[in-house]
Amino acid sequence: MMKKWVCISTVALGTMLAGCVGGSGGGNESEEGGGGEGTISFIHWRGEDKAVFDELIAKFEEENPDIQVDMTIYPSEQYQSTAQTLLRDGSTGDVFTSFPGSQMEIINQAGLFEDLSGEEFLENYNDELITAGQIDDKQMAVPLQLVFNQPVYNVGLFEELGLEPAEDWEGFLALCQELKDAGYTPIAFPGSDIGPGQFMNSMMMNNAPEEDIFERLMAGEAKLTDDWWVQTLSQFQELEEKGFLNADSLGTNHTSAISQLANEEAAMLASGSYAMAGVKEINPDIELGLLAPITTEAAEAEWEGINTTTFMLAVNANSEKKEAAKTFVEFLSDVDNASTYANETGQHVTVEGVEYESEELKSTSEWMDRNTRFQPRFLITNADIERAVIASIQSVIGGDTPEAAAEEAQQIVDENLE
Amino acid sequence: MKAVKIVMLSLFALVIIIPLIAVIFTTFKSTSEVFSNILDVPESFSFDNYVSIFVDQPMARYFMNSVIVTLFSVTFTIFFASLIAYAITRMFGWIGVVFFSLFTLGMMVPAQVNMIPLYQLVFDLGLTNSLLGLILVNISVTMPVAIFIMSGFMKSIPKSLFEAARIDGASEWKMYRRIAIPLSIPSIAATSIFLFVMHWNDLLYPLLFITKNEYKTLPLALLEFQGEYATNYPMLFTGVLIASAPMVLAYLFLQRYFIEGVTAGSVKG
Amino acid sequence: MNFRKNKSLFLFLLPGLILYSIFFIVPTINAVIYSFTDWDGLSPDFNVVGFDNYVNIVSNDSIFLKAFVNNIKFMLFVLIFQTLFSLIFAMFLIKNTKTNIVLRALYFFPTILSSVSVAFIWTFIYDPSIGVLNTVLESVNLGFLQQSWLGNQDLAIFSVAVTQVWFHTGQMLVIFVAGLQGIPKDLYEVADMEGAGKWDRFRFVTWPMIAPSATIVMAYTTIQSFKAFDLIFAMTRGGPNYSTEILATLIYSTAFRSFEFGYASAQSVIFMIVIALITVAQFRLLRASRVQE
Repeated sequence: MMKKWVCISTVALGTMLAGCVGGSGGGNESEEGGGGEGTISFIHWRGEDKAVFDELIAKFEEENPDIQVDMTIYPSEQYQSTAQTLLRDGSTGDVFTSFPGSQMEIINQAGLFEDLSGEEFLENYNDELITAGQIDDKQMAVPLQLVFNQPVYNVGLFEELGLEPAEDWEGFLALCQELKDAGYTPIAFPGSDIGPGQFMNSMMMNNAPEEDIFERLMAGEAKLTDDWWVQTLSQFQELEEKGFLNADSLGTNHTSAISQLANEEAAMLASGSYAMAGVKEINPDIELGLLAPITTEAAEAEWEGINTTTFMLAVNANSEKKEAAKTFVEFLSDVDNASTYANETGQHVTVEGVEYESEELKSTSEWMDRNTRFQPRFLITNADIERAVIASIQSVIGGDTPEAAAEEAQQIVDENLE
Repeated sequence: MKAVKIVMLSLFALVIIIPLIAVIFTTFKSTSEVFSNILDVPESFSFDNYVSIFVDQPMARYFMNSVIVTLFSVTFTIFFASLIAYAITRMFGWIGVVFFSLFTLGMMVPAQVNMIPLYQLVFDLGLTNSLLGLILVNISVTMPVAIFIMSGFMKSIPKSLFEAARIDGASEWKMYRRIAIPLSIPSIAATSIFLFVMHWNDLLYPLLFITKNEYKTLPLALLEFQGEYATNYPMLFTGVLIASAPMVLAYLFLQRYFIEGVTAGSVKG
Repeated sequence: MNFRKNKSLFLFLLPGLILYSIFFIVPTINAVIYSFTDWDGLSPDFNVVGFDNYVNIVSNDSIFLKAFVNNIKFMLFVLIFQTLFSLIFAMFLIKNTKTNIVLRALYFFPTILSSVSVAFIWTFIYDPSIGVLNTVLESVNLGFLQQSWLGNQDLAIFSVAVTQVWFHTGQMLVIFVAGLQGIPKDLYEVADMEGAGKWDRFRFVTWPMIAPSATIVMAYTTIQSFKAFDLIFAMTRGGPNYSTEILATLIYSTAFRSFEFGYASAQSVIFMIVIALITVAQFRLLRASRVQE
């Protein structure tokens, strides 16, 4: 027994030493052999986009034989926690992506964005749609994706019942009532994960039409206990109490909510345009559209919907291969390549002149010209406050009064402002 | 009594088997099938997912990396930890307690806190994107648990055995090899199983230290099936099942030592 | 004298201690130092703020308190049920018969799955509309027991705790089996000769003899339930309305969502102190419970 043990550990130690030598040797080899200075690292969080990026990278490497792209994909959670750390030393993420909001803020504070102002490829983009990537008039990053964070609905079902998206709150409630009477769940609300953070945007956009509302909240000038938020919360409560949200919505996740819309149990899905591809995958025959609840009188409504420009391409300021990195960003900004990306991932892009092929993308393209507002939630740059805002929605749906929930959330805001 | 036992055992077995079947079924389904009812029998049993996971990705490479990292990490954690556990149980007075506390503290620190300073350190040492770096960190991080479990068991070895050996003039090294280790085989097996699972499934450290494809381990590779809004569950679970296979083997292999351990125990008695 | 006796034993500590110092103690001390600063985890510079972070946590952080209470609930539930189940099942399965070996392997199976898959499976089990649990309850006429397992703020933390017990009972069972198999058979023979009943056998032979394993299991379970980050994060992200927020998930979001690394470090220092205190208390209690014959 004993001899065996000693034997095993000696062998292991030996192999390990051999392994070390082999390991480090292998590392050097790849750096010299694998294109050396020409290999750039590209990191992002879109697992769904792996196939199309593999294709685009192959094309890029063909066009630029001295640059190789090493792509690493992280799930969005892990990306948000580790990306900044990895970027810091310049070895990883020559080209990287950033979320708008708090992540962009922190990366900027650490000086990791290479200023892209004046780059030629910026002209390929729709000017108005890339402002989310600007800080102090400098273009730090270029958002590539455009999504609409408002409910998706079953167009066929609406037509069948003779319904249309409503123009005011009364109308929206009446619409939900008719859907309910017809035996459908009016709104599938994924309350356990992304639902509150997504639906809040369209629910509050007209209750607080000023775009700087959250900026003022964080400056202590506005409060969650003010009318605009209490009103929003009581409208959430109204939807819940009238049975317009799916049963046990706080226990429902996005996956499950998607299947409720796809299986035609629910008529609307309170997440965003990005969910359409998932719905279509389950039920290819369903016809989908976007709508947004108008929470005020029709005349008072300033906004029609919500947009987010995200997946912001950026070049690492600490990178040693900035030129190669910019070449890759330029490549992705090209109309043809952006079209490939858009059509294969089913997402809108901020690049101008892209031809959308799928029905969904075509039918929702009109929203690009509608009066939509940048996702208010992303303008909350303090994550604790963002969570408090979201929690107050869950709290109301869980049975608390809007006033109490607003009070509790405001307390957390106050704690964070001190 | 016997009936209660059988009912309890089968109930718990059922609670494990049902989800397990769900996982296996999922690997044969399309994404839309998964969402309709997770327990339904798949429409067809095709091995496409299993094939494509190997075709689309350098799975063999990831597998190899995982095997190397896990084997070295487990072996050396056990070796170093058993030395320390032995020393702690044999040490006199407060010194043993101090070392025990020092190492036990290692279990209590949340990994998220060490993450940033640790990354800096590993980077400064030039150990990012290397399996060696991963192994060294793994050993350091799991040693506390191993020491904790093994020293607990070593404490129950009767002191008289060591005294007797001492009188015969045995050195500490000899006592470690001839008495402590043989009598700790069941606990070493139990600890190894623990460590196997931890290292094999570990995601945090590979995520931090490995960014090149050639050094990726399995859990890191499986992440690519998780999207921002849509996760490819059939592929993910296929990967999970393939990745679990070596651990089932490791478990069965180590299970033998429980049985051998009994024999050792009775010799002692 | 004692020191000389210990001297050769120091050599035993050496290899492990070196690695441990470099890759664990140094980063940890760094983290403790950061707890006195306002570092965001990324910027090149930061300010020293003394005990401000600690004062803030104690006096002005309602979420920390909430997470702490949730953590205690979660820990107690997991500790009680996981220890009980793993001990009972280990006693059932102590003999090395074919069935027992198969069952032990089966019970161990959940442990080898990754947290992500366990979380996915259990969100499906708990799902309100298509979930396995509610469907099963309905079909056996227990529909009134149907619950909003993860959506109900009072229940969610326990639902997650059940998942944790399912996930790790098999792992603890392995330790108990190792402990039980180390009990010399003649002790039971002596007990039988003295006419001991089943309960006496457990109380006077089994329990004192497996006390070391029980200590390990309970201490490890406690620590594990404080650090059950992956599972909770993947299942509920701490929601709804912070009802499943535990300290580990809170520390994570403080460090990587709010980018208050200094503050998160201070939260972790308190976290460590809490775990250390609980672990020491457990050691004491267990030692006291051992019947000395």
